[in-house]
Amino acid sequence: MSSGGTERPQLVAHVQQALSYTLFDCKWVPRSARLLCLGSAARGTGLLQLYELRGGRLALLREIEKAKPIKCGTFGATSLQQRYLATGDFGGNLNIWNLEAPEIPVYSVKGHKEIINSIDGVGGLGIGEGAPEIVTGSRDGTVKVWDPRQKDTPVANMEPVQGESKRDCWTVAFGNAYNQEERVVCAGYDNGDIKLFDLKTMSLRWETNIKNGVCSVEFDRKDVNMNKLVATSLEGKFHVFDMRTQHPTKGFASVSEKAQKSTIWQVRHLPQNRDIFMTSGGAGSLHLWKYEYPAQRSKKDSEGAEMGVAGSVSLLQNVTLSTQPISSLDWSPDKKGLCVCGAFDQTVRVLIVTKLNKV
Amino acid sequence: MPVWLREYSWRQTGSAVYLSLPLRGVRVTPANIFCTDQYLKVSIPPFLFEAILYAPIDDTNSTAKIGNGIIFFTLYKKEVAMWDSLTLANANKEKLQYLRENAVLKAHEKAKEETEAKKVTKQEHKKYALEATMKLEEAERKRIEDLKEKERERVTKELELWKKQQKDAEKQKRVQKEGELHQEVEQLKEKKKEKMNKTRIPNEGTSKTRLKPTKGCHGFYSMFSENVKEEQLPAPRSAATIKINFTSRVFPTALRESRIAEEEEWLRKQAEARRTVSADLSELEDLKEEEKNPDWLKDKGNKMFATGNYLAAVNAYNLAVRLNNKLPLLYLNRAACHLKLRNLHKAIEDSSKALELLTPPVPDNENARVKAYVRRGTAFCQLELYTEGLQDYEAALKIDPKNKSIEKDAEKIRHLIQGTTQDS
Repeated sequence: MSSGGTERPQLVAHVQQALSYTLFDCKWVPRSARLLCLGSAARGTGLLQLYELRGGRLALLREIEKAKPIKCGTFGATSLQQRYLATGDFGGNLNIWNLEAPEIPVYSVKGHKEIINSIDGVGGLGIGEGAPEIVTGSRDGTVKVWDPRQKDTPVANMEPVQGESKRDCWTVAFGNAYNQEERVVCAGYDNGDIKLFDLKTMSLRWETNIKNGVCSVEFDRKDVNMNKLVATSLEGKFHVFDMRTQHPTKGFASVSEKAQKSTIWQVRHLPQNRDIFMTSGGAGSLHLWKYEYPAQRSKKDSEGAEMGVAGSVSLLQNVTLSTQPISSLDWSPDKKGLCVCGAFDQTVRVLIVTKLNKV
Repeated sequence: MPVWLREYSWRQTGSAVYLSLPLRGVRVTPANIFCTDQYLKVSIPPFLFEAILYAPIDDTNSTAKIGNGIIFFTLYKKEVAMWDSLTLANANKEKLQYLRENAVLKAHEKAKEETEAKKVTKQEHKKYALEATMKLEEAERKRIEDLKEKERERVTKELELWKKQQKDAEKQKRVQKEGELHQEVEQLKEKKKEKMNKTRIPNEGTSKTRLKPTKGCHGFYSMFSENVKEEQLPAPRSAATIKINFTSRVFPTALRESRIAEEEEWLRKQAEARRTVSADLSELEDLKEEEKNPDWLKDKGNKMFATGNYLAAVNAYNLAVRLNNKLPLLYLNRAACHLKLRNLHKAIEDSSKALELLTPPVPDNENARVKAYVRRGTAFCQLELYTEGLQDYEAALKIDPKNKSIEKDAEKIRHLIQGTTQDS
């Protein structure tokens, strides 16, 4: 029950819309009250639906059908004027669509041999600097970075060594994009590996294994010096890594929390406050968390090397909306507290989180 | 026979009768006193006092006070009257009996009624309590619902307000943009006019090129800004590949902590099944670790067979069989070696043993079984036991009917058999 003190943020269910297809991803269209639902229709084709928030309901503006089911999408790599959507589909194709003219994609490449599980974009939307880039992670075990200005070949390719048996890559995220050269890609795999690739030096910067398949990774801000990384996994656990201090052998300090018994499908940081994030769970629940920094963020270990200190995480609020997993979650970058989530019960829900100013 | 108590004294007023009954040396409890509206009895075995009252009394309000060796009754009359005597004078035995029974019955009924009444009141009280708590909870729930509703309304209003603001902001921006563009175009026109006024010829070219981009207000504005932006964007990264290694995992499924124990168990069992069956041979201590592994020995044997060193291959297989005599492939391969070495009987033995171990006959060990039959068949033929050889070839054909070479060989053997039978 979301009761308790009147000072805690409340998760208010604003609108609920039942859909007639499986919903895989939902995203807010930047600078608007419109949202996009991506999924797969029963007949095995992909669907893109554009909704607008009107009064207390969602009005369908456009419906676009494509050949393959769409798994994920991002607006991260386009400019604010263009607002092109980059999608990854079940066939391993990366497409960038102009939603005003969606018949032919602006950019298209068959990037992977198998389904693209996760996509992220950086360099667009007037945030940060540097080239616009899109990263995709796929079941074929590779992570590829694409530049929309370069056709057919990826700008960076993270693939397993020859002869190594591949593991599914479940999630990717950009980070550390604070100037034109620096950029980092974090990838999570189904065998619990988390790998951090530095794109400036084209090398593996850090890797670790969190003992459970990694469902979702996200940096708290893509466009600053990397500060925190949250990685969620199966078995209801998530880890918050302090990314400011990297120890030569121990890597990054982390704190982990077990939120619930089921898989944590997604984590999303609030765009307006990078210490608040929401996790969505396999039991249809949403948890709102706040991270508190420790008194000292780094300390020296016995050999004098700098070591990070992880802080603590506290639960602000939780609510159970559905009996099916909530697989996708997105905060609106324009209105603080407005978020959309999509669940496997074929419903998309718009929620408003109140009292975030007082947290 | 009870002892009747006859010593009693009584007095009366208009509405009540006071009776005192002395009882020496006995303990009286309220259970010993029995009273109905016209019958009073005190029974303390062996003593007995009974009285059939002159007129009915109000037995619910009447009292009995038990004191030291005496009971003091205060009986309230139903009708206000003066009684001639305490008891009814003419009371014959039958009447007495009847009255007694009646009294008892009445008492019973009364008791029943009382318990019923109690039950009913108890129920009512419970119900009332339940309803009261339900109401309280309902009120609490409503209060919380109201709070939530209020929040929701407030938040919806805020949202609508924000949307309106957005729309207004967009409109304003658009208006502003158009205003700015208008201004710019005006400025250009003015500049052009100025330049035209100054010198016409050299500037015509430039003014034309200046005006070309103004196809539409939007086009000009966005191209301008995009030019500026493209200068700022860095070129696409030079392509590179990073090779990675994964933390090894035997199972194709995702890693879950709760399943680690099960998975380890399974792996351990698999490993044990492949390990040595009879591992207490003393000569084995001299061998290196890998030489004790039947799989490794099998590979070694295969390699030596491939290079043509059949004796060494047989040795390897022998050792492997000593370690684990349940692997059919070892016998199969050893049979092939024996064939090459023309140890035909041994070849037959080994193929037979392999076939034994390859029960149950499933699609997985088809290949192995075909090979076993073929080898045994060959061995039989070379020993000139053609009928047995043919049997084995036909068995092999049954498993793998598409194999041409087996067919050919089977045909050959048939001819041979027919040839010999014809001759003899």
